[in-house]
Amino acid sequence: MGRTAPTYRQALEERMKRWEAFGRLLTTPEERAAFETLRTGARRYVAQATNVGSPDLLESILLSVLLDMARRMPPIAPPAVDPDGS
Amino acid sequence: MSVEADAWLLDITEHTDGRSVDLWTKDRHTGRVSRRSEPFRPPFYVLGSRSDLEDLERQLSSHPEVDSVASSHQRPSLFEERRRRMLAVVPARNPFRRRLARTIDAIGEFHRFTLYDVDLTPPQLYHLTHDLYPFAPVRAASDPLVAVEPPEVLEYDAPPMRIAPLEIRFDGPPRRQRIPSTEARIRSIRIGETILEGPEPDLLRALAAEIARVDPDVIRTDGGDSFDLPWIYRRAEATGLSASEIALGRIPVPFRPERGDRSYMTYGRVVHQAASFNLPGRFHIDRENSFLFEDTDLDGLMDAARLSRLSLQTIVRQSPGTCFTAMEIAQALQLGVRVPWKKNRPERFRSGAHLVLADRGGAILQPPVGVHDRVEEFDFVSLFPQIMITKNLSAETLDCRCCPESPRIAPGLGYRSCTRRWGLIPRTLRPLVHRRLAYKAAMRLRGIPANERAQLARRVKMLKWILVTAFGYQGYRNARFGRIECHEAINAYAREVMADLSRAGEEIGYRTLHGIVDSLWVQPRREGAEPDPEAFAERMSERFELPLGYEGRYRWIVFLPATTHGFGVPNRYYGRYVSGAFKLRGIGGRRHDTTALVRRFETEALQMLGEAPDAPGVRARVPRALARADRFAARLREGAWPLEELLITHRIGTPLEAHRSFRDETSALRQLAALGLARAPGESVRYVLLDRSSRSWRDRARVAETMTGEERYDVDAYLEILARGVETLLAPFGIDRAALRARWGIPAERERSPYASGSDPDQQLLASQGGSPTF
Repeated sequence: MGRTAPTYRQALEERMKRWEAFGRLLTTPEERAAFETLRTGARRYVAQATNVGSPDLLESILLSVLLDMARRMPPIAPPAVDPDGS
Repeated sequence: MSVEADAWLLDITEHTDGRSVDLWTKDRHTGRVSRRSEPFRPPFYVLGSRSDLEDLERQLSSHPEVDSVASSHQRPSLFEERRRRMLAVVPARNPFRRRLARTIDAIGEFHRFTLYDVDLTPPQLYHLTHDLYPFAPVRAASDPLVAVEPPEVLEYDAPPMRIAPLEIRFDGPPRRQRIPSTEARIRSIRIGETILEGPEPDLLRALAAEIARVDPDVIRTDGGDSFDLPWIYRRAEATGLSASEIALGRIPVPFRPERGDRSYMTYGRVVHQAASFNLPGRFHIDRENSFLFEDTDLDGLMDAARLSRLSLQTIVRQSPGTCFTAMEIAQALQLGVRVPWKKNRPERFRSGAHLVLADRGGAILQPPVGVHDRVEEFDFVSLFPQIMITKNLSAETLDCRCCPESPRIAPGLGYRSCTRRWGLIPRTLRPLVHRRLAYKAAMRLRGIPANERAQLARRVKMLKWILVTAFGYQGYRNARFGRIECHEAINAYAREVMADLSRAGEEIGYRTLHGIVDSLWVQPRREGAEPDPEAFAERMSERFELPLGYEGRYRWIVFLPATTHGFGVPNRYYGRYVSGAFKLRGIGGRRHDTTALVRRFETEALQMLGEAPDAPGVRARVPRALARADRFAARLREGAWPLEELLITHRIGTPLEAHRSFRDETSALRQLAALGLARAPGESVRYVLLDRSSRSWRDRARVAETMTGEERYDVDAYLEILARGVETLLAPFGIDRAALRARWGIPAERERSPYASGSDPDQQLLASQGGSPTF
C-alpha cells in the first residue's frame, strides 16, 4: 500500500527544512525567536490544512501562520458601524 | 431446523485422486468423524472474442490436462448486467487448474482472454455450489449433503472440538533457548495429556498410535509449522518410516509442507509466515503461525469459516482480508457474476491536484499536549463499513452510468454513488455489521453466562477484524473487487462527519480536544453546566444515521507530544476512565519491542499516577514517578538488573546481507548466522546489549540463544533506553531525555572503539590490510 501524493505533513516538513537556510542567517535572538514562532504556527494547523487538500502548499502554510498570529493578537473590536450601512 | 441434523460438516478437502473432494462429518452423538468422497471437478471460465474462443476450444479438445470444454453464458463483471458467451473448461484433474489457466493465458498472449474462477479452490466451490459451509449442521445420511439452516443464523451449536496440544522435545535445556543440531534425536513427545518417551522409531510409531486413539479434531502447536512437524517428518524419514506409518491427519499425507514459507509486507510491517503442514481431516493450529487465533480463538474462527465458506484450516493461517474476499466472492457468485482471476481495472488517469485532494485519510484533530480531566470519549461503531453501506459505496456503484443525478456525492470529490442498484460491498458488509451489533447486544444481556459472553466477545473481535480490512481492501491494488475511488470516498464522508460532530459538540457546550477518524475526545467548557453525553451520542447517531457510542468519561487523560516537533501526536495517550479502566495507546507497553525493564517502569508509574482523581492530582504525583525512575537508574548502574528483563526483541525488517550499517540487530543476526541459523524478515531476534560502542559483532550484543547468564550488560545503553521510556510517559511534564541524561550522568555520545575485535581473525586480517569494512 503506497500513496502517490505526499501528505500535507510531509510536504510541510520538507518546506520547513528549506526554510532553515533562511533562519541560519538571522542575526539577533529576537529575530530567531520570531522565526521559530512562525514555524510553530505553520505546524499548529496541520489537521486543518490537510482538510483543505489544496495543491498550493504555500497557501496552506500562510493561512496557518496568519491564523496563529491572529489568535495571539488582542481581540479585534467589532466594527462601530453596521457593515450594511443601515 | 437444526433438530433434524445429526452431524456437522467439519471440513471439505481435496481428494488425492484429483477428481473429487472429501467431506468430513462429525456425528452429533458419538463424536465420530467420517469421510465421504464426492466426484467434483469444477470448471473455470474463459472470455474472449468469438474467433479466439473457437480456436481455443479446438486446441483444448485434445489437450491432455483437459477433461471437457463447453460453451456457457455467464456474467463477466459487476459492471455488466448482460451474460456473455464463455468457455467452461473442466481440468482432467483439479491440481491442473492453475497450470492449465496459465497455459490458456499464454495462448491468448496474456491479453486476449480473461479468465474467471481460476483461483477458487474445489472445496470452496463445493461449499458455494451445494449451499454448504464449514460447521453446517447436516443429516449424515442425506445424499447429497445439505445444510439444515443457513450460515447467517446468529445462534447455532458449534461442534465441540477435541483439541490435542503437540510438542516435541530434544535432550538438554528447553527448546526456546537452544537449537537442536542436525544430529539431534527426539527424546519425548507430548500429545494431549500423554507424554511419550523412548527410542525414536518406536516413539514416532507410538505418536501415530496415540493420535489415532485420542482422535483429536485439532492439533494445536506453538511453532508446529516451523519446528515440530518438520522435525517429526525429518526424523521419521531418517529412521525409515513411511508416510502411511506416521499419519498425523485422519489420512496419511506425504512428508512435505502444503506451502513454503514466505515474508511479506503488510501495513508497513514485514511479517514472516512459516511453511504450512496440513493434516487432512484434522485442523492444525500453530499459534505462532496464526495471526487471528490469538485474538479470536476457535469461536471467532469458526464463525468466520461459516460466513466465508473457507476451511478453518485456511482461515487460521490467513489474514482477515482473505475472509472478506471470500465473502465477496460468495456474494458475487450469488449474483451470477464470475470471479476474475486477475484484476484488470487500472486506476483511471487523474491530475496531480486531484490526487492531493482525494488521496487523504480520515480527519485528525491534533490533541493538546498535557494532562486533562473531565474528558468524554465518543466512538462511531464500525464507521467505515457503515458509510459504505449507507452511501452505497462499491466499485460498480461509483459514478455509474445510470444515475448522473444521484444525490449521494462524496464531499469535496464529487464521486456519485448509484441509487438504483445495491453494490457488492454494501451487500457483503450489511449482514456482518448487523451480526456484530447483535452479538454485542447479546453480550450486554443480564444473566448471560461468562463463557457464553467470552465466546461472543471472540466472535465480535473476528468480525471487527474483517470489517477493518473491508475498508483497507478498497485501496489495495490486488483486491479483487476494490477500487481506490471507494477508499477515497469513504474517507471524504468520514472527514465530513467528524467535522460536523465536533461542531455539534461545541454547540452544546463541549470543547474538542482530540479527534482521530472515528473517535472524538471532548471536555465540557464549564464545570457544573455539563451536557449529557449519552443523550448527545443518541442524537448524533440519529442525525448522521451512523451509530455513535459513548465510551466513557476519563478521570484524567495525558496526550503525548512528538519528540520531533513537540505538538500532540494522534493516538498516543494514556488515561484512566471513571470506571477505573486504563486506556493506553502508543506507549511502550503497547509495543512488541519494549524491554521488560521499560514495561516494568511503565506499570509502576501508571499505578502511581492512576491513583490521581483529576489532572492536578496527576501533576502532584509526577515527582514520585520521577523518583521511581531514579531508583530504576541506580539499580541499573549497579549492574544487577536481571538479564531477561533487558532482552530486546527486534522484528527483522531487512535480511542480514542487506544491512548497510552496523546496528545492534546486525550483531545479533551475525551471531545467529554463525550458528547456522538464518532468520527471515518478519521473524524476531532477541538479544541483550553488551557494549553498544563496540564495532565487533561478537561483542556488541548477545543473542538470547547463546546467553549464559554471566554477561555484563551495557549500563549506559540501558540507561538511555530507560530514559526514552520515562520520557514517553512524562514529557508533557517537562521531563525529557536531555534532562534525564544530565540527571543520571549518561554521556551524550560515546566514542566508538576501533572496529577490529581481538578475537576475530577475519577482522584482524582486514585491519592489517587497511581495509575499511562496514562492520
